[in-house]
Amino acid sequence: MRTSHTPEDLDNIPAEWWQEFDAAARRPLATRFRYAFIHTYKPVLDDARYRAFTTMKEYRDWCDRNLPSWLGYGRV
Amino acid sequence: MGAFEYRQATEIRDALARHGVKYLFLGKSGAILLGFPDTTQDADLFVEKSSENGRALADALKELGFELTEEQCEDLERGKDLVQLKNGPFDLDVIYAPDGIESFADAWKRHVEVEGFPVCHIDDIIASKEAANRVRDRESLPRLRAFREWLRNRQP
Repeated sequence: MRTSHTPEDLDNIPAEWWQEFDAAARRPLATRFRYAFIHTYKPVLDDARYRAFTTMKEYRDWCDRNLPSWLGYGRV
Repeated sequence: MGAFEYRQATEIRDALARHGVKYLFLGKSGAILLGFPDTTQDADLFVEKSSENGRALADALKELGFELTEEQCEDLERGKDLVQLKNGPFDLDVIYAPDGIESFADAWKRHVEVEGFPVCHIDDIIASKEAANRVRDRESLPRLRAFREWLRNRQP
């Protein structure tokens, strides 16, 4: 498994993130769900009710070719 | 199509358990189950790849109201790497081979349970996003890594 953890990460964590994590932990799971899951229309991606890709590479290539870049599905 | 609700999450958890489907929540939906405060649009399920497991998944999804043709059920049974479902009560991505995770068995060994929801370990969620290397993943990774630190500090 590839991870990119470095010890200095901890020092760079904004205090407000830590506070948000603490606050989220105090909420029941059902409340966390209500805050977390949203639905907005995503062009192209939401225009088919079903898609299947034989490989992840096929999926990534499809995203690169078909989705607007601002959706953020393109590879860096 | 509305947003994925807690009630629906419990329904899918219970239906998959009834049908004996072996799976894990992955992606940001998995992180949210672990306590990560953020937003997302759909649920990602990492499913063990076997024809038996895929057929059980298809049966469970039909029971939940997903309108699956026989051909689509066969896609699930064959274990295509990614199946995107928007033909049911909520959006669902079924992933058989996520980037960055060696095998389902490895992820299963590390997984955690949250109120009966089987969830990938935060290390696997981060590893899959690092490997996918999309713009949206790059944006969410610093906060996810910070959340991992928070989890480590919180656990005894």
